[in-house]
Amino acid sequence: MAGPSTSGGVLESLSNDLAGAVERAGQSVVAIHARRRIPASGIHWRPGIIVAAHHTIQREEEITASLADGSTVAATLVGRDPTTDLAVLKVGEAKVPVASFAEDSGVRVGALVLALGRPGSAVTASLGVISTVGGEWRTWHGGSIDRFVRLDVSIYDGFSGGPLIDASGRVLGLNTSGLSRGAALAIPVPTVNRVVDQLVKSGRVSRGYLGLGMQAVRLPAALVERLAMPNDIGLMVVSAEPGGPADGAGILIGDVLIALGDKPVVDPGEVLSFLGGDQIGKTVTARIIRAGEPKTIPITIGERPQQSRGSRRGR
Amino acid sequence: MITEPLGRELAELASLLRRSTVEVRTRGTGAGSGIIWNDTGLIVTNAHVARSEHATIVLSDGRAFDGVVTAHDPRRDLATIAIDTSGASLPAATIGHPTDLRAGDVVVALGHPLGIAGALAFGVVHVVETRRGAPRWIRADIRLAPGNSGGPLADARGRVIGVNTLIAGGLGVAVPTTTVLRFLGDVETGRARSGYRAA
Repeated sequence: MAGPSTSGGVLESLSNDLAGAVERAGQSVVAIHARRRIPASGIHWRPGIIVAAHHTIQREEEITASLADGSTVAATLVGRDPTTDLAVLKVGEAKVPVASFAEDSGVRVGALVLALGRPGSAVTASLGVISTVGGEWRTWHGGSIDRFVRLDVSIYDGFSGGPLIDASGRVLGLNTSGLSRGAALAIPVPTVNRVVDQLVKSGRVSRGYLGLGMQAVRLPAALVERLAMPNDIGLMVVSAEPGGPADGAGILIGDVLIALGDKPVVDPGEVLSFLGGDQIGKTVTARIIRAGEPKTIPITIGERPQQSRGSRRGR
Repeated sequence: MITEPLGRELAELASLLRRSTVEVRTRGTGAGSGIIWNDTGLIVTNAHVARSEHATIVLSDGRAFDGVVTAHDPRRDLATIAIDTSGASLPAATIGHPTDLRAGDVVVALGHPLGIAGALAFGVVHVVETRRGAPRWIRADIRLAPGNSGGPLADARGRVIGVNTLIAGGLGVAVPTTTVLRFLGDVETGRARSGYRAA
């Protein structure tokens, strides 16, 4: 039809580059049928290994994956790590390429990125930028993630479990809205690799466990002085899992935890950091204040029970 | 630096599209947008924008015309409005090919979101939903608002590929121009309802 249009310039090149990146990277994006209604996205990460977001995998049996070539294959759940919101599935044969990964230096603020998904048969794309890059951080559930990567990208169906790609189609991370109150985050490639290694090896990512809920409280100055504490913060026990390691050792609600071993604790996150998988079975001396008096209680660190199903909301 | 020519091209694209985008005002409802489909005065918009027999069509240069709704298809959510230009030629849009669209392709929308005249929005194709191989809906990662309805969704060269129709789950949803062409064909052969019917 007649009428003017602009000549092909940088805008058209940009358009072609972005669509080309989506086409290439989309080859390794799969749809995972493991919940009602809309399928979730996953990435063909290594040959036969698919990585998805834990919270989108809502059943453990009869899981199938739809691949970019139009085929649908059976998938089995290898394991899941709710603390990093990652799940690993295995497929028998996948005649689609595995993802190609970008250098970690590509993760920087302002980088033009696309979030891909496959909440059905077709690949979907959203455009945005990386808005924050921070250091290592710990999720609400105690998982350790190498870098904090927040995105300015709209979240649509299929966002979680899909790849974050750069403008040339290489994967920078796995997207999820399940780790930070619905905010768009990406889990960097090294973190995903670490969790995949552990899940493939043992089917789970084990973590230490005390069975305590704690809240930071400020202690009276006189008490801090008397006990020669380095700071005036302690962690008050607000819940103790019945039969859990701390309960069994005699910790009571109302006790104030001030140190684990020699290390003072002023934040529940520090306790989570301390409870790595290598601590399971070891005994740690908990220094507490009970009724204004210091006390030491040895606790044998247990293993955190596995959360079996995706339950948190998110797309 | 690619940003300088990028900005310049986007500005050209905006002014190109703005010329062939009209404001459609009907009694009782808020204003929507429309596309100048040919230079003799055929305006294409959404059926939900053309909700009465008559509409006032306002061009980007401020000229206003009385329009008559000549075809109205609530199922496809498309309508045509004819205006009498008294022989004056109108800046018609260039129609593109939504069949070539891929996820990730740059798209822009022009319209009157929330009454703001001639506003440009930038985004990418999220997915082209097809039925029997033909595009059925273009879903775009683009920020639209009421008032964009009936306006153009265009590709990186300014060719109109869809009529912005609704917002679903945060995505802009456009009726592909292939559907518009089929609708116009049906109007010509009398298979589509002509004129306004209360829906």
